[in-house]
This record gives sequence, structure tokens and C-alpha cells, in this order.
Amino acid sequence: MGDSVSSSSSASYIHMVQHMIEKCLIFHMSKEECIDALSKHANIQPVITSTVWSELEKENKEFFEEYAKSQGKEDRISEAETSEIIQKMISDHEDRDPKASSK
Amino acid sequence: MLAVPPSRNIINKRNNEMASFSIMKGEDFLDFSSSTDCNLLDSIDFDQLFDVGINEGDVLPDLEMDSEILAEFSLSGSEDSDMNFPHNFPQDSSENHSRQEGEVDFVDHKHLASDLGSTLSSINGEDNNNGVSKACQNLKNPSSYKEASHKGKKSSNNSPKNAQGKKKVKVDWTPELHKRFVEAVEQLGVDKAVPSRILELMGIECLTRHNIASHLQKYRSHRKHMVAREAEAANWNQRRQLYSAPPPTANGGKRDKTIHWVAPTIGFPPVAPMPPHFRPLHVWGHPSVDQSLLHMWPKHRAPTPSPSPPPPPSWPPLQSPMTPSFWHSNHQHGFAPPPPIQRFPTQPVPGIPPPTMFKVDPSITLAVGQNIPKPPLLDLQPTKESIDAALGDVLAKPWLPLPLGLRPPSTDSVLGALQRQGVSKIPPTSG
Repeated sequence: MGDSVSSSSSASYIHMVQHMIEKCLIFHMSKEECIDALSKHANIQPVITSTVWSELEKENKEFFEEYAKSQGKEDRISEAETSEIIQKMISDHEDRDPKASSK
Repeated sequence: MLAVPPSRNIINKRNNEMASFSIMKGEDFLDFSSSTDCNLLDSIDFDQLFDVGINEGDVLPDLEMDSEILAEFSLSGSEDSDMNFPHNFPQDSSENHSRQEGEVDFVDHKHLASDLGSTLSSINGEDNNNGVSKACQNLKNPSSYKEASHKGKKSSNNSPKNAQGKKKVKVDWTPELHKRFVEAVEQLGVDKAVPSRILELMGIECLTRHNIASHLQKYRSHRKHMVAREAEAANWNQRRQLYSAPPPTANGGKRDKTIHWVAPTIGFPPVAPMPPHFRPLHVWGHPSVDQSLLHMWPKHRAPTPSPSPPPPPSWPPLQSPMTPSFWHSNHQHGFAPPPPIQRFPTQPVPGIPPPTMFKVDPSITLAVGQNIPKPPLLDLQPTKESIDAALGDVLAKPWLPLPLGLRPPSTDSVLGALQRQGVSKIPPTSG
């Protein structure tokens, strides 16, 4: 493959990865989660995702700073705890209203 | 059947009687509509009808005179309860203009009468709407679906005319109109609200008592549903609050314990124990209802200071019991993925769940519609399916615009960075 071909395909590949990362950002995923997701669902090598993420971060510092802050807030309560709470609510609800228990 | 004769006597009494009369008449009319058809029109002498000085303050007196006309009606049956008799009552004194309009129209109608029978359905909506709006600026056309729902009840004849005297006036319950209705009803007390008084309070021409009566009926039944939902919601809220024990720091961004947003309420009926008069009706029936109303399940998000755009999608329960579009603006908000930065804009206002902007939020809230949302709908993390779908989308449609539109790094710098890490070719040829 000639350089021109590979560079434009590289460019579009990178663009695609960026697009996917953005989708993950919408889901509020962390960098790790994102890498994981892209690898699992789209077969993107983690190193590539990681690199593109880093580059994006450099280009969009403010955005990522804000993002990190909100991520930080999320961590206040751990997922496990939250799950527990939710499970409790679910079971309470089901107790209360069995017919609504279609999950 | 025809209760006309007896009612005539009642009519002589005025007021309360009037109300009952009109309702009766309304029902009778409905009966008529089913029994007779178009000949009615032929036998009705509109001019006479209206000559009767109907516009005098109290129509009742007119009714006496109208006994003949009533008789005619009884013979012919009327199509819809919208006979203008009831309609004329309260507003009359102010209505002269419409009456005049009516008169003019009637003349035409007489001619049309014979045609009406056959063309009634075709007329549906257009002239009628025009007629209506002519006389009552309040009424608007757009919500034809409302007509459809009204149709169920009334025979679908729309007389090209509206207001006075003419038979079938299809009322468009626009949100504004409805709001006035609700205000009037609330003023009187829902259970005590009597159509004639409501009419008076609303002061809108073009509404017949029957219109009001039937609307009132629907409203009441709708409210029952709402109350039931509300009760559910209140329960949920209690629970939620229990769980999110840490008191909300009233401060905006400070999500005190993220529990708040995490707290499922996603899509929960917004929250706060509804005030007894929530006005679902604002949302009711009009598709283009204000955004803020949209998601408000029955109530406005007004209390929620959420600057954030993604309004929790409309509360579906509203929709199920009744004609969906009629009863509430069922808006599937095609919301765009909320910018991540836009955090939970709502502070944990007591009881009000922050728009769940959490990862899954949008899909969840939408899904919630079916019945009381249960926590299971809440996902702490984006579901695999949704991620998969999102990423798949990107793979399949690379031409789509970037959802966030972040500034892309230069290709070279990315490639350079990759090479430093040992990746020389992208897309990689091997797995």
C-alpha cells in the first residue's frame, strides 16, 4: 500500500476511533472503560484507543478537565454501593407491587 | 330518547335547571345523532332558531319560545350535542357578534342542509375549524387529532359553521383553551364544577355547554388516572429519599451524594409529591406543548432549576390511559446525547430527581414510559447493548458527524505517538 493510501486510511481510521471515543464520552465512560469498550465492541487495539484519547485530551484540554471533574463526582459513591441500593429498591418495589416486577 | 318535552318545562326555571337541561339535551342529541341522520338539518329552521333573541342574557327565556324549535329538533334529532342551545346561554350578551355571524351562516346553512348530510364527514375539520376560529380566536386548528378523539363521541359531522346555533361545532381543545377550562374548573372545585358555570368563567364564545360537559367528563376521568400515578410517584419518592439519606446539599453542582442522580428516579414521575392541582392538562392534548411541560409528567419542571437541555422525556403514563396524543403530549424527545459536561444540572431539589443524565439516561427515561419506572431500568453503566450499538453505528456509518465535535488531533501527531508505542500501521492489519 502506498503511503498516500495508508495515510488517508490512517486518517480515517483515527477519525473513526475519535468518533467512537466521543460516543463513549457521552456515556460518561472513563478512559479505561472506553478502551475496553472499543476493544470489545469494535476490535480497536487498546494502544490505539489510548493514544487517540490522549491526543484528543491534548487538543481539548478544557473539555477533558471538566469531564474529569464530573467523573470525579461520580466516584463519590462506588458503583457497588449504588447497585446495592438499587437492588434494594427493586426488591422493595417488587414486594410492594408484584405485578410490576417485570424486569 | 327525546327528553325534550319534559326538559322544556325544566327550562323555564333557569340556571341550575339549565345546566341539567343542557346536559340532558346533550345526551339526547347524541342519541339523535345515532338515530337520525341528515334530514335533521332539513327540518331545522335555523333562522327561526336564531331569531329567537338568543343572545339575551339568559337563554332560558328563549327556550320557552323555542319549544317549537325543540320539537323540530326532537323530530330531526341533532347531530351533536353541540346544539347551540346550551351554548347560547351564558355568553350571549357578549356574543352578539357571533350571533350575527351565525345568522349569516345559517342562511347559508339552510341551503347546505340538504347537502350536509352527505358531506358532513368531508366537511370535517376544515370549515368547522374555520368557523370556529372565526368566532373564537382562541380556538386553533392544528390539533386535528383532537378532533379525531372528539369524533368518537360526536358524530363526525362538522358543520361548516360554528358558534351560534349551528349544530356541530367541533371544539379544539387547545392548550390555552384547556388551561382556561382547568382554571375555571379549579375555581369552582372539580367535583362541583358545573358546565354552565365553567362556561361563564371561561367566557369563551363558541363553546357549548355540552362541549364543556364532555370535556369535563374526560378531564375528571383523566385526573383519576393521574391521581393514581401520583400516588405511585409519591411512594417512589419516599423510597428514593430514604435511600438517599444524606441530605441534599442544596448546592447546585455539588452533588452531594451522587446518589441523587444515581438514584434511579430516572424517569420517575418527577418527583415531588404533586401538588393537588397538578396540571397535567397543560400538557394535555397538545403535541406541541412546551418543552418544559413535556417531560413534566404532570407537572412543570419549573421548580427544577435545570439548565440542562435534555429534558427528561415526557412521562408516558400520561399517555396510556387515554388517547395518547389527546391526553398528553407524548413526546419522544429525540434528545441528543447530553453533553457530558452538562452535569446533573439539578440540584437535588427535594424530591426532584435530577435529570438523569447519567450514562444511560436518555434511553432509560424513554423506556420508562410504560409504567412506573422501576429501578431496574436504571443502569449504573451504559449497557453493553447500547455501547455496542453506538460503536457499531460509528463503524457502519463513518460519515456521520462527530457527536461531540471535539477538535481532532492532527493525524501526524497521533501516528507519531503510536509509532513511539510500537504501532506502525493503522488500521492494523492484524487483529
